[in-house]
Amino acid sequence: MTELTASADRRRLFALLSPAYLWLTLAVFLPLSAMLFFSFLTDLPQDNPDWSATFDNYARFLTNPTYAILMWKSVKLGLMVTLGCVLIGYPCALVLARTIKGRARETLFLLVILPFWSNSLVRIFSWAIVLRGNGMLEHALNWLLPFELRLELMFTTHAVVIGLIHSYLPYVILTSYLALQAIDDDLVDAARSMGASKLTILRRILLPLSLPGLLAGAVLVFVPVVGSFMEPRILGGRMGTYYGTLIEDQFVSVYNWPLGAALSFTLLAVVLLILACASPILGKART
Amino acid sequence: MSRSLLPLIGKLWLFAILFFLYAPILVMAAMSFNASPFYQLPFELSTRWYQQMAGNGQILSAALRSVGIAMVTTLVATALGTAASIGLFRYDFAGKKVLMVLLFPPIAIPWLITGTAMLIFFFAIGIGRGTPAVIIGHVALALPYVIVTVTARLSSFDITLEEAARSMGANSWTVLRRVTLPWIAPGVVAGGLFAFAVSFDQFVVSYFLSEPGDSTLPVLIYTAIRKGFTPEINAISTIIIAVSMLIMFLATRYSRFAGDR
Amino acid sequence: MSAVDVQNVTKRFGQTVALDDVSISFEDGGFFALLGPSGSGKTTLLRTIAGFHFAETGAIRIGDRNVENVPVEKRDIGMMFQNYALFPNMSVADNVGFGLRVRKVAAAEERRRIAEALELVQLGAMAERRPSQLSGGQRQRVALARAIVTNPKVLLLDEPLSALDKTLRVDMQIELKRIQREIGITTIFVTHDQEEALTLSDRIGILKDGRIVQVGPPREVYDKPVDAFTAGFLGDANWVPESWLSALRLPQPANGHSFAVRPEALSMAQARLDGMNAVAGRLTQRVFAGAMATCLIEVEGQKWKLIARDRDIPEITGDGAVWLNWRPEDTMAVRA
Repeated sequence: MTELTASADRRRLFALLSPAYLWLTLAVFLPLSAMLFFSFLTDLPQDNPDWSATFDNYARFLTNPTYAILMWKSVKLGLMVTLGCVLIGYPCALVLARTIKGRARETLFLLVILPFWSNSLVRIFSWAIVLRGNGMLEHALNWLLPFELRLELMFTTHAVVIGLIHSYLPYVILTSYLALQAIDDDLVDAARSMGASKLTILRRILLPLSLPGLLAGAVLVFVPVVGSFMEPRILGGRMGTYYGTLIEDQFVSVYNWPLGAALSFTLLAVVLLILACASPILGKART
Repeated sequence: MSRSLLPLIGKLWLFAILFFLYAPILVMAAMSFNASPFYQLPFELSTRWYQQMAGNGQILSAALRSVGIAMVTTLVATALGTAASIGLFRYDFAGKKVLMVLLFPPIAIPWLITGTAMLIFFFAIGIGRGTPAVIIGHVALALPYVIVTVTARLSSFDITLEEAARSMGANSWTVLRRVTLPWIAPGVVAGGLFAFAVSFDQFVVSYFLSEPGDSTLPVLIYTAIRKGFTPEINAISTIIIAVSMLIMFLATRYSRFAGDR
Repeated sequence: MSAVDVQNVTKRFGQTVALDDVSISFEDGGFFALLGPSGSGKTTLLRTIAGFHFAETGAIRIGDRNVENVPVEKRDIGMMFQNYALFPNMSVADNVGFGLRVRKVAAAEERRRIAEALELVQLGAMAERRPSQLSGGQRQRVALARAIVTNPKVLLLDEPLSALDKTLRVDMQIELKRIQREIGITTIFVTHDQEEALTLSDRIGILKDGRIVQVGPPREVYDKPVDAFTAGFLGDANWVPESWLSALRLPQPANGHSFAVRPEALSMAQARLDGMNAVAGRLTQRVFAGAMATCLIEVEGQKWKLIARDRDIPEITGDGAVWLNWRPEDTMAVRA
């Protein structure tokens, strides 16, 4: 790598970096700042020239318990989905990284992460087909089971949780797998040579060493789930009111943008708090 | 005994997960070929919904718009992202760490927040809603993926190759064109495919930024689902998932994303 | 009775035969080196004894127990790995105590034995450090302490010194030998470094293509290699051309044998010496290397090598015609 000395180098560096970062500034950082600004306004300046500054939008969060309740509901949903993803995904990553070898491993890993990169909306929609009353899942179960069964899963919290786990599970598998497969095989061999059982190896070697990856995956699941709105809308029906759908409403049906901005920003604050708490772990996971 | 049993349980678990991941998608795909509009069984093979979809001007124009937006996003994000990666890789300077960290907000902040923030800001500065706004948003979301992918490829690049080329008298443009770019080409291709996928699959940001009646495919699907879905949606969803899986398959083959090679 | 006994063990990986009907015994308290080029099966043999591989046929006994069906963790072995394999998430003390913890040794006893083991490798002060805070040589010692703290039946070493630089390696060789003597543990040591094998071990086993070629004390294996491979692998050998055989005094009849001379057994002179075997050649190169020097001499179109103290090699003038002399008993006979 070159030390920056000559001014020609400086100019070249500026030419390489500035387009990308200007774009990010215009499309992400300025909007976030603008949102913070608008969240303290009574009205949008372009709509109403009589706008003024106010704390009302945030005060409503404190005075009207609905917002706090929905925030808690979303956080709970986030915790549930994250826990589900960790419990289901970590063993899966463990099998992939430590049991399966060679080309089979590569193929299976690709198969696991492939859905993750495909359209999440469509995948949620596919669950609607499976879970709906008289849907595929009921057909399948009734065909297998001797008795008639009505699941009535669609438009319940369960449906939302299942759909979200399906959406975000590959995250946990991906990060855990990367952490697990980076562990030197010799460490496991060494532990075995000292008499450790499989469980001891998992508890004292594999789990501690892959924990940064697992936690990184958990954070990557938790953050977007707290802000999810499309999944609860499609799978949750009347049960699907969450903090995310509340924000969506402010922007697409109620048109109270300053309130929406304040709600978004409160969510961002919660998310940033979580990210800040997790950043030492995330930093560790990357190295 | 436990020597053979435990891996077996593990493999069964893995296959159960794969079933969980793929079953709903396969059901949806199967239903898109079922004649009954109410997903009635027995299954009756029909391409009726695909034909109906092909005659639906709204779906077709949304599909075209989605592909167009994804292509523009890919071009812009790949060019900007590759340039930034080379800058970040080649030079050491104060604040480099900060610039790397700045790549994370677009990925880590929920798109709901980013999308609504863009909506507010774009209205305030007069861009408003519509296809240009969508493209600006998509490029911003795709940039970090391109930079991360290209940087990963660059990290295996031997910087002394550039120095060697320079010692033989090549100017920095020639060095870039003849030495650096050929080496990172697979990373750039993978980054471009990621960018395409991010844009083509993007729903949340498009949802807030696109004009009603002028929307991208995922937004159209969302609106249709909320109105009560029709089997046509199955057909177009099946096509979307097939396309995005194909793109990601190609991207992972080009990048070193799939772990140890 | 031997501590470890391997009988007729065969191990395949797919089509390749890694171990081909190997039988070998390791004496109690001995220091045994398995030596061979890469791909010879030495590491496979070690890992089969450890239990990481299972042999298709044959029997392995550790102590008085047949272990063919015993998994690694129940074999009661100590093992040292090429890259140490220290657990990065544990302190030095926890690394060393790992095997004791697994065996549910009482806390006080555990502390005592960890301290003892660390003392033995002279790392008592480093107990609370992390492996990443140690130098290569120190990690080496931790790995050794960790391998012996449980008083295993056998200590298995998989090229444990190959990651160290030369000076450190020599120090560690001495250290390893001292500790092995001190605790008297049966030790099996895999290496591809001939000098290391000769320095450290009481016995050497030479492997080639999954077979044991020769087993014996270092001096015997070095002085009386059974075949051309061993002669060439364990030090250099100058091969005597057949046309010269009739003019030489040989240790045994020539039929079915080839004859070779070690470079250090040769002496160079401008004449044939009495009572010695000798061949004529031409000095082509003399390489000075401090105390020692190497000379390359062309003998009948073959390159011979001579190694001696630099001051013992005479100056050769003229066209470089020389006689290479050696004592008849230094002629090695190997199976052709």
